[in-house]
Amino acid sequence: MTRLILVSGKGGVGKSALAASLALAHHRAGARVLAIDVAATGGLAAHLGVASLAFKAQTIKTGLNALAVDRSKALIEYLQVQVGMPGLGTLGPAARFFDALASTAPGVREVVTLGKVVWEVKKKQYDVVVADCPPTGQVTGLLRAPETVSSLVPAGRIRQQAEWMSEILRSPKRSELIVVTLAEELPTIETEETMSMLDESKLIGSTMIVTNRVLGRLRTEAKGVDEVAEAAALHRSLFHSQQEWLERLPPRKKFPYLFGVFTESEIAARLSDLWGE
Amino acid sequence: MAKAVIVTGAGGVGKTTVAASLAVRAASEGKETLVLTVDPARRLASALGVKLGGRPVRHPEVPRLWGAMIDGAASWITVARRHADPAVADRLVNNEFFEAATVHFPASQSYAAAEEAATYIDSLRWDVVVIDTPPAAGGIEFFTAPARMADLVGGRLLRLLTGGRIPGRNALFNRGARPLLRFADQLLGADLLERVALFLMDLRSTYDGVAKQSKRIEAHFRRAATLVVTTADPAPLAEAARFFEELPEVAAPPVAVIFNRTLPASWAQAEVPARTSAELADNLHRWGAESQRQRDARAGFAARFTAPLCTIPWLAESPTELAGLRSIIDLADGLPRLW
Repeated sequence: MTRLILVSGKGGVGKSALAASLALAHHRAGARVLAIDVAATGGLAAHLGVASLAFKAQTIKTGLNALAVDRSKALIEYLQVQVGMPGLGTLGPAARFFDALASTAPGVREVVTLGKVVWEVKKKQYDVVVADCPPTGQVTGLLRAPETVSSLVPAGRIRQQAEWMSEILRSPKRSELIVVTLAEELPTIETEETMSMLDESKLIGSTMIVTNRVLGRLRTEAKGVDEVAEAAALHRSLFHSQQEWLERLPPRKKFPYLFGVFTESEIAARLSDLWGE
Repeated sequence: MAKAVIVTGAGGVGKTTVAASLAVRAASEGKETLVLTVDPARRLASALGVKLGGRPVRHPEVPRLWGAMIDGAASWITVARRHADPAVADRLVNNEFFEAATVHFPASQSYAAAEEAATYIDSLRWDVVVIDTPPAAGGIEFFTAPARMADLVGGRLLRLLTGGRIPGRNALFNRGARPLLRFADQLLGADLLERVALFLMDLRSTYDGVAKQSKRIEAHFRRAATLVVTTADPAPLAEAARFFEELPEVAAPPVAVIFNRTLPASWAQAEVPARTSAELADNLHRWGAESQRQRDARAGFAARFTAPLCTIPWLAESPTELAGLRSIIDLADGLPRLW
């Protein structure tokens, strides 16, 4: 059975880095892994060490594949690849028609986007599918889309698809949403709001909070007024502020602040060692 | 007309705090100032004295400072009521697609925010209007929202559905003749398109108003001073670069990039005095490496783009008190004149 792990979080918390690191960690543990960029920011590609990703899966290394679902092109891709509507790419007006339709008919674009992800799960070609999703502000809309479509669309293939998608997404054995957060005010509040919405609506099988960029405690007191003392003072006050937010929203897992690590692929590689089990 | 200052950048870099600080500064320099913010942290909102969805309110302590918090969803209703006949506006806001369209078409929220901002800029009540861009818009989309909104209500889909003409309610479409529509029906179920089309026809009655407003908003964007806020992290930096590359197409190019959370440059090569404990020496080395990384990131950015580069130091607590907000602009290095 293929496991689906969706990764989301407020903008700027390091979602793509953690999504990439999770894909790398599962791959290292021997799983066949597919990483999907649903956020369409290009962040996942950079963290996997490639220039870009396309709708067609590419092999990053044996057993680790990756693709990107472009939200604005998802419907056309869907019609071509999954419905098999011929020649749509060359049919300019038709492509524009469906694109305009997807902008207006609520949930359609989302169902198609998320549909690609869930379809990859359904195909059973991989052990784990990791999806780097849009920020929490949008991910709830994405997860709600199958229901939105079901309530507005009485019949048709999109509705059928919405139904089997819901089933997979709601299964605790198959689907999990990881919400990445920081030990700061705004990410904490946004995570709390997302979690209470998800608990109530049961849109996704299970959830897990992980906190990124956590600082360690500094035990020694610094004396003097030099750079040593300045750095210690900043570290200490950031640490104390983080502790308050960690207490308010205890995460299942903490990832450390990575100092001076620059490229995205270095960050993902370092984080991938820390997922454990 | 007020001078508009637009503060933009990736999520989580401190845009709202920078916008609030600029507004406090402008007011203290004698300008009647309005800060428009979208979804600020609660403590920051209370420091600014703003409430959601309200009209601009005068700050209780800071003379000449006004604040308003824009509610994207609510202002969409305002847009509908402003630009459509009362009966049509009623049908629109009660339509099953209306709420979904506002949620699922993020440009509509940005548009609503921008239209509200334009009204205040034109009102002659303020010298400076500072606009904190909505996080949902995710950057450059804020600036393209007016054009996309006009396109949406202008009935791009409706024209496609009907073959170019805007028909009466009764002659909606001739399905038999159009294989495309038959296919869409298979996909979406038979009456969805019809319901969408009826909704769009109502929406289209707002077009003249929206198209006119779009032009006005775009003119404001071209006169505004846009500040791009970033940190030295790869993702926000990439977003900041996008603004410099793409903004000149839809608005004035950014007047400056602000690197928030900047560490002292002196930490990078600092000497560690003898007899410093190993833990504290390590701590300085870690933060020094971070400072060096930030310096490299700034140098890389400066090599690519010519706008002034400004830094704001990393503060342990994001300021949520007036005193803290005031001090940020004093600590900012390299900020150009904005008003």
